[in-house]
Amino acid sequence: MTGYPVPDSSRGIIALDENACTSCMLCARECPDWCIEIDSHKETVQEPGARPRVVHVLDRFAIDFGLCMWCGICIEVCPFDALFWAPSWDHAATDAAGLVHERFDLRQWLAEVPPGTP
Amino acid sequence: MTWVEQVTAARDAGAVFFDLLTAVDLEQEGFEIVLRLWDPEARTEHLLTTRCPREDARVPTLTGVFAGAAWHERAVADLFGITFDGHDTEPLLLPATFEGHPLRKDFVLAAREARPWPGAKDPGESDADLGDLAVPKRRRAKPLGAKDWAP
Repeated sequence: MTGYPVPDSSRGIIALDENACTSCMLCARECPDWCIEIDSHKETVQEPGARPRVVHVLDRFAIDFGLCMWCGICIEVCPFDALFWAPSWDHAATDAAGLVHERFDLRQWLAEVPPGTP
Repeated sequence: MTWVEQVTAARDAGAVFFDLLTAVDLEQEGFEIVLRLWDPEARTEHLLTTRCPREDARVPTLTGVFAGAAWHERAVADLFGITFDGHDTEPLLLPATFEGHPLRKDFVLAAREARPWPGAKDPGESDADLGDLAVPKRRRAKPLGAKDWAP
Protein backbone atom coordinates (compact mmCIF):
# COMPACT_ATOMS: atom_id res chain seq x y z
CA MET A 1 0.00 0.00 0.00
CA THR A 2 2.64 2.49 1.04
CA GLY A 3 5.41 1.05 -1.09
CA TYR A 4 7.64 0.19 1.84
CA PRO A 5 8.91 -3.37 2.19
CA VAL A 6 7.37 -3.56 5.66
CA PRO A 7 3.78 -4.13 6.85
CA ASP A 8 1.51 -1.08 6.84
CA SER A 9 1.08 -1.39 10.58
CA SER A 10 4.83 -1.07 11.22
CA ARG A 11 6.02 1.42 13.78
CA GLY A 12 8.30 3.33 11.46
CA ILE A 13 7.86 6.97 12.33
CA ILE A 14 5.31 9.13 14.15
CA ALA A 15 3.18 11.47 12.05
CA LEU A 16 1.45 14.61 13.32
CA ASP A 17 -1.83 16.09 12.13
CA GLU A 18 -1.28 19.70 13.18
CA ASN A 19 -4.89 20.62 12.52
CA ALA A 20 -6.10 18.05 15.02
CA CYS A 21 -3.55 18.96 17.70
CA THR A 22 -4.89 21.24 20.44
CA SER A 23 -1.52 21.62 22.25
CA CYS A 24 -3.09 19.85 25.24
CA MET A 25 0.35 18.57 26.35
CA LEU A 26 -0.92 15.07 27.19
CA CYS A 27 1.57 13.30 24.89
CA ALA A 28 4.51 15.36 26.20
CA ARG A 29 3.50 14.55 29.77
CA GLU A 30 2.96 10.84 29.22
CA CYS A 31 6.14 10.28 27.20
CA PRO A 32 8.45 8.17 29.39
CA ASP A 33 11.51 9.39 27.48
CA TRP A 34 10.67 13.10 27.58
CA CYS A 35 11.20 13.24 23.82
CA ILE A 36 8.24 15.46 22.82
CA GLU A 37 8.63 19.24 23.01
CA ILE A 38 5.57 21.42 22.51
CA ASP A 39 5.35 25.22 22.53
CA SER A 40 2.06 27.01 22.07
CA HIS A 41 0.41 30.33 22.80
CA LYS A 42 -3.09 31.57 23.49
CA GLU A 43 -5.12 33.59 21.02
CA THR A 44 -8.54 35.08 21.45
CA VAL A 45 -10.95 34.30 18.65
CA GLN A 46 -13.92 36.59 18.06
CA GLU A 47 -16.62 35.16 15.88
CA PRO A 48 -19.69 37.21 14.98
CA GLY A 49 -22.54 36.62 17.36
CA ALA A 50 -20.40 34.65 19.81
CA ARG A 51 -18.48 35.49 22.91
CA PRO A 52 -14.70 35.76 22.48
CA ARG A 53 -12.98 32.48 23.22
CA VAL A 54 -9.36 31.57 23.88
CA VAL A 55 -7.71 28.96 21.66
CA HIS A 56 -4.26 27.40 21.90
CA VAL A 57 -2.10 27.86 18.84
CA LEU A 58 0.72 25.40 18.24
CA ASP A 59 4.15 27.04 17.79
CA ARG A 60 6.44 24.06 17.99
CA PHE A 61 5.96 20.31 18.03
CA ALA A 62 9.14 18.25 17.93
CA ILE A 63 9.87 14.60 18.56
CA ASP A 64 13.47 13.60 19.28
CA PHE A 65 13.76 10.19 17.65
CA GLY A 66 17.17 9.86 19.29
CA LEU A 67 15.32 9.50 22.61
CA CYS A 68 12.07 7.89 21.41
CA MET A 69 11.72 4.17 22.15
CA TRP A 70 8.76 3.56 19.84
CA CYS A 71 6.42 2.70 22.71
CA GLY A 72 3.50 4.51 21.08
CA ILE A 73 2.10 5.87 24.35
CA CYS A 74 1.80 9.37 22.81
CA ILE A 75 -0.34 7.96 19.99
CA GLU A 76 -2.52 5.98 22.43
CA VAL A 77 -3.01 8.91 24.76
CA CYS A 78 -3.84 11.58 22.16
CA PRO A 79 -7.54 12.42 22.65
CA PHE A 80 -7.75 14.26 19.33
CA ASP A 81 -6.22 11.66 17.00
CA ALA A 82 -3.39 13.96 16.01
CA LEU A 83 -0.61 11.36 16.18
CA PHE A 84 -0.27 8.27 14.00
CA TRP A 85 2.22 5.54 13.24
CA ALA A 86 3.52 5.57 9.67
CA PRO A 87 5.51 2.64 8.28
CA SER A 88 8.20 4.81 6.69
CA TRP A 89 11.44 3.76 8.33
CA ASP A 90 14.46 5.23 6.53
CA HIS A 91 15.09 8.23 8.77
CA ALA A 92 18.70 7.77 9.75
CA ALA A 93 20.69 10.96 10.35
CA THR A 94 24.37 11.77 10.42
CA ASP A 95 24.18 13.56 13.76
CA ALA A 96 21.96 13.54 16.84
CA ALA A 97 20.31 16.87 15.97
CA GLY A 98 19.12 15.36 12.70
CA LEU A 99 16.96 12.91 14.65
CA VAL A 100 14.82 15.74 16.03
CA HIS A 101 11.81 15.96 13.74
CA GLU A 102 10.01 19.30 13.87
CA ARG A 103 6.33 19.77 13.04
CA PHE A 104 7.02 20.21 9.33
CA ASP A 105 8.77 16.84 9.19
CA LEU A 106 6.12 15.18 11.32
CA ARG A 107 3.36 16.62 9.15
CA GLN A 108 5.04 15.22 6.07
CA TRP A 109 4.85 11.65 7.45
CA LEU A 110 1.07 12.03 7.61
CA ALA A 111 0.95 11.26 3.89
CA GLU A 112 2.51 7.88 4.67
CA VAL A 113 -0.11 6.82 7.22
CA PRO A 114 -2.07 3.91 5.73
CA PRO A 115 -5.77 4.64 5.17
CA GLY A 116 -8.02 3.39 7.94
CA THR A 117 -5.37 3.72 10.63
CA PRO A 118 -7.24 4.45 13.86
CA MET B 1 18.16 -24.16 53.50
CA THR B 2 20.66 -21.49 52.65
CA TRP B 3 20.66 -19.71 49.29
CA VAL B 4 23.56 -21.80 47.97
CA GLU B 5 22.00 -25.07 49.19
CA GLN B 6 18.69 -24.13 47.61
CA VAL B 7 20.31 -23.44 44.23
CA THR B 8 22.49 -26.55 44.46
CA ALA B 9 19.40 -28.68 45.16
CA ALA B 10 17.57 -27.21 42.16
CA ARG B 11 20.59 -27.84 39.93
CA ASP B 12 20.96 -31.43 41.16
CA ALA B 13 17.25 -31.98 40.55
CA GLY B 14 17.73 -31.20 36.86
CA ALA B 15 17.64 -27.40 36.52
CA VAL B 16 21.13 -27.41 35.09
CA PHE B 17 20.82 -24.42 32.76
CA PHE B 18 21.74 -21.12 34.43
CA ASP B 19 19.68 -18.51 32.62
CA LEU B 20 19.66 -15.26 34.56
CA LEU B 21 20.64 -13.68 37.85
CA THR B 22 19.45 -10.21 38.68
CA ALA B 23 18.04 -8.14 41.54
CA VAL B 24 15.05 -5.99 42.42
CA ASP B 25 15.26 -2.89 44.61
CA LEU B 26 12.39 -3.24 47.11
CA GLU B 27 13.40 0.03 48.82
CA GLN B 28 12.84 -0.28 52.61
CA GLU B 29 12.39 -4.05 52.29
CA GLY B 30 15.93 -4.43 50.96
CA PHE B 31 16.91 -6.23 47.76
CA GLU B 32 15.56 -9.37 46.19
CA ILE B 33 18.00 -11.53 44.24
CA VAL B 34 16.24 -13.34 41.41
CA LEU B 35 17.65 -16.43 39.73
CA ARG B 36 16.10 -18.22 36.78
CA LEU B 37 17.16 -21.77 36.07
CA TRP B 38 15.92 -24.02 33.27
CA ASP B 39 15.43 -27.75 33.34
CA PRO B 40 16.11 -28.85 29.74
CA GLU B 41 14.75 -32.38 30.29
CA ALA B 42 11.47 -31.49 31.97
CA ARG B 43 11.31 -28.16 30.06
CA THR B 44 10.39 -26.27 33.21
CA GLU B 45 11.69 -23.05 34.67
CA HIS B 46 12.75 -22.54 38.27
CA LEU B 47 12.53 -19.03 39.67
CA LEU B 48 14.48 -18.80 42.92
CA THR B 49 14.68 -15.68 45.05
CA THR B 50 16.37 -14.54 48.22
CA ARG B 51 16.39 -11.27 50.14
CA CYS B 52 19.06 -9.15 51.73
CA PRO B 53 18.75 -5.99 53.83
CA ARG B 54 19.49 -2.60 52.28
CA GLU B 55 22.04 -1.48 54.87
CA ASP B 56 24.15 -4.64 54.64
CA ALA B 57 23.45 -5.78 51.09
CA ARG B 58 25.32 -9.07 50.81
CA VAL B 59 24.49 -12.61 49.68
CA PRO B 60 26.75 -15.66 49.26
CA THR B 61 28.15 -16.16 45.76
CA LEU B 62 26.75 -18.83 43.44
CA THR B 63 29.97 -19.14 41.44
CA GLY B 64 30.69 -22.46 43.24
CA VAL B 65 27.41 -23.86 41.86
CA PHE B 66 27.38 -22.23 38.42
CA ALA B 67 30.67 -20.74 37.20
CA GLY B 68 28.62 -18.72 34.71
CA ALA B 69 27.04 -16.77 37.59
CA ALA B 70 30.26 -14.74 37.82
CA TRP B 71 29.37 -12.17 35.14
CA HIS B 72 25.82 -11.83 36.41
CA GLU B 73 27.03 -11.24 39.95
CA ARG B 74 29.54 -8.66 38.72
CA ALA B 75 26.77 -6.84 36.87
CA VAL B 76 24.44 -6.95 39.91
CA ALA B 77 27.28 -5.72 42.13
CA ASP B 78 27.82 -2.81 39.71
CA LEU B 79 24.22 -1.82 39.26
CA PHE B 80 22.72 -2.55 42.69
CA GLY B 81 25.76 -2.36 44.99
CA ILE B 82 25.22 -5.86 46.38
CA THR B 83 28.26 -7.72 47.75
CA PHE B 84 28.66 -11.38 46.81
CA ASP B 85 30.55 -13.08 49.62
CA GLY B 86 33.30 -15.26 48.25
CA HIS B 87 33.43 -13.51 44.87
CA ASP B 88 35.67 -10.56 44.04
CA THR B 89 33.18 -8.68 41.88
CA GLU B 90 35.35 -6.55 39.64
CA PRO B 91 33.19 -3.96 37.80
CA LEU B 92 31.76 -5.47 34.63
CA LEU B 93 29.62 -2.76 33.07
CA LEU B 94 30.55 0.50 34.76
CA PRO B 95 33.89 2.31 34.63
CA ALA B 96 36.02 1.74 37.72
CA THR B 97 35.66 5.42 38.67
CA PHE B 98 31.83 5.40 38.49
CA GLU B 99 30.08 6.60 41.66
CA GLY B 100 26.82 5.02 42.76
CA HIS B 101 24.62 2.14 41.64
CA PRO B 102 22.31 3.14 38.77
CA LEU B 103 19.59 0.51 39.27
CA ARG B 104 18.98 1.49 42.89
CA LYS B 105 15.76 3.44 43.06
CA ASP B 106 17.40 6.28 44.97
CA PHE B 107 19.96 6.83 42.20
CA VAL B 108 19.52 10.28 40.67
CA LEU B 109 19.36 10.23 36.86
CA ALA B 110 21.65 13.05 35.77
CA ALA B 111 19.91 13.41 32.40
CA ARG B 112 16.62 14.11 34.21
CA GLU B 113 18.31 16.68 36.44
CA ALA B 114 20.04 18.54 33.64
CA ARG B 115 16.99 18.99 31.44
CA PRO B 116 13.60 20.48 32.33
CA TRP B 117 10.59 18.22 31.90
CA PRO B 118 8.85 19.10 28.58
CA GLY B 119 5.45 18.41 30.18
CA ALA B 120 5.83 21.20 32.75
CA LYS B 121 4.34 23.64 30.26
CA ASP B 122 0.57 24.06 30.20
CA PRO B 123 -1.42 24.30 26.97
CA GLY B 124 -0.81 27.75 25.52
CA GLU B 125 2.65 28.08 27.05
CA SER B 126 6.14 28.01 25.60
CA ASP B 127 9.55 27.86 27.25
CA ALA B 128 9.68 31.65 27.40
CA ASP B 129 6.50 31.74 29.53
CA LEU B 130 7.89 29.35 32.10
CA GLY B 131 10.36 31.76 33.66
CA ASP B 132 11.67 30.65 37.00
CA LEU B 133 10.10 27.32 37.93
CA ALA B 134 11.49 27.70 41.45
CA VAL B 135 8.80 30.30 42.17
CA PRO B 136 5.66 28.75 40.69
CA LYS B 137 2.55 30.87 40.45
CA ARG B 138 0.42 27.79 40.95
CA ARG B 139 0.78 24.05 41.23
CA ARG B 140 2.57 22.64 38.20
CA ALA B 141 2.19 19.16 36.72
CA LYS B 142 4.94 16.74 37.78
CA PRO B 143 6.47 14.00 35.65
CA LEU B 144 4.75 10.63 36.16
CA GLY B 145 6.47 8.27 38.55
CA ALA B 146 9.14 10.83 39.36
CA LYS B 147 10.84 10.91 42.72
CA ASP B 148 11.23 14.02 44.84
CA TRP B 149 14.40 15.01 43.05
CA ALA B 150 12.58 15.51 39.74
CA PRO B 151 12.04 19.13 38.63
